[in-house]
Amino acid sequence: MSLDTPLRMLLGCALLGAFASCGGPPPPSPAELAARAAALSPREPHLADLYAHSCRACHAEPRANAPLTGDRGAWKARLAKGMPALLQSVLTGVNGMPAGGQCFTCTPRDYEALIGFMADEDGR
Amino acid sequence: MTVSRRTAIGLGIGAAGAVLVGGTVVRQRRLDREPPSPPVTDADGRVLWRNWSGIASSYPAARAAPESEAALAELMRSTPTPIRPVGAGHSFTALVPTPGTLLSLDGLHGLVGHDPDTHQATLWAGTRLGDLGPALVAVGQEMLSLPDINKQSVGGAIGTATHGTGTGYQAIHATVKDFRLVTARGEILECSPERNPEVFAAARVGLGAFGVITQVTLQNRALTRVHKRVYVQSLEQTAADWPALSKAHDKVEFFAFPFSGLAAIVATDPTDAALQPRGPDQDTDTLLNLKRLRDLLGPLPGVRRRITHALMAGLPPEESVDDSWKLLSNERPVRFNEMEFHLPRESQMVALREVMEVIERGHDDVFFPLEVRSIAPDDAWLSPFYGRDSGSLAIHAYYKDDYQRLFTEIEPILRRHGGRPHWGKLHSLKARDLAALYPRWGEAMDVRRSLDPDGRLLNRYLRELLVDG
Repeated sequence: MSLDTPLRMLLGCALLGAFASCGGPPPPSPAELAARAAALSPREPHLADLYAHSCRACHAEPRANAPLTGDRGAWKARLAKGMPALLQSVLTGVNGMPAGGQCFTCTPRDYEALIGFMADEDGR
Repeated sequence: MTVSRRTAIGLGIGAAGAVLVGGTVVRQRRLDREPPSPPVTDADGRVLWRNWSGIASSYPAARAAPESEAALAELMRSTPTPIRPVGAGHSFTALVPTPGTLLSLDGLHGLVGHDPDTHQATLWAGTRLGDLGPALVAVGQEMLSLPDINKQSVGGAIGTATHGTGTGYQAIHATVKDFRLVTARGEILECSPERNPEVFAAARVGLGAFGVITQVTLQNRALTRVHKRVYVQSLEQTAADWPALSKAHDKVEFFAFPFSGLAAIVATDPTDAALQPRGPDQDTDTLLNLKRLRDLLGPLPGVRRRITHALMAGLPPEESVDDSWKLLSNERPVRFNEMEFHLPRESQMVALREVMEVIERGHDDVFFPLEVRSIAPDDAWLSPFYGRDSGSLAIHAYYKDDYQRLFTEIEPILRRHGGRPHWGKLHSLKARDLAALYPRWGEAMDVRRSLDPDGRLLNRYLRELLVDG
């Protein structure tokens, strides 16, 4: 590595200030996020069943272009809209997300719990 | 004040540029509007159900997902009607909407048993095709063929005659050796060529209108490593080569891209080559780039064609080597609506040229490719492939775009060439039209009436489709 590179890294850290992650852990790679999504399942059996039959098909498959389960960065902006707005989008469908996530026996309460699980809100 | 010619030309170009940019922005905003959604709940507080693309919907009074065949049989006798089974909700036609009971088979899933000698496996009909791949690997088997996506449930895929491609390959329902059916009266029937043969023939492609299929035995094969190659070439050449391509490859299909003169051929053949897993998805990026070109150049088809051709013609081939179940199906995260007809194979390319001409002459909003496949004949009475080698043509419209005008104009071409519609994809045919297309229609309807004399499984759409339309 030339001297130029660490200098630029240092300058970059100074300029980015609080927005930069210099010194912190690097963000997970796409492969790490995919592996994490593939490994996660809700602890509660009822939710685990619903997740396995519906959500997982897209939210654990990077090629599906959906926010991956456990990818907090991808879920942050969505959660910022608030759960009522997010639930509305889930129930009616929006963009690539089909209505209800094609979970035909999910209740609104199930959806809230599944969103919380996929967004890794409590670090499960 | 005098204005030089140079200044005038500059002002003119600037104004034209502003109009073009402004027009493009307005056009893009119009094209990107989310279609209106029905309310989340109805006046009685019932929650909305919608299909994958969003065009079919209802507010079921009851939702059920029984976890045993006995529980399902009990439910069939007492639950609100119409009872409509739902798989993954990928049908575009209104097979599922019901004010009665929405019946999911998600509680009946997984492998029941297998025979290593015959490569047959028995499984619950609620199993999703995507989950079936790994489950069959565990017993050294794979399905003979797979559709373009693998989100569907086995029951839904069989019931709508869902198919893959390959001149020697039949649709999934034709690989069913036997099945168990729970009728509207709650009876459980075992069906095969030997037991209840008329129900086996009529209800294999049964749209969930004969009863609910709970278990099927599929004829599979040993795991097979395949080489998949995707490459772009001229559409005209592809159409001319199609019979030879179909003979040369174990499985082959192509995607015809409107406003480009190009096709992408997808050929899959058995191989002993070293493993080369598929890379990151490129189809979705390509599709979204085609949408961008549509948004920008839609009103300028000549320019659009030249630019699209220049960008796509040089794409390098994609190659992968893996077990076939990992390569045959794809992710399709951009939602769409679809029409697909199955034609006598000799009419397929003629019809394709006519359809492409209609699209390129009057539908500059289309950016999805047409999908062109081959399917071998079978003997299920309501199979669109009944008794004939078939070539399919599938036309897609982005879910935010007007599909009705497009499909209304294209359907007469496909019908004129003797096409039978895919049961799960959009068409306007009714019972009287279908009776003329299916030689065993009358017998199939007799079987349906005997199994469900009160029409407990018929929603409004199915009544028009099968009874009095």
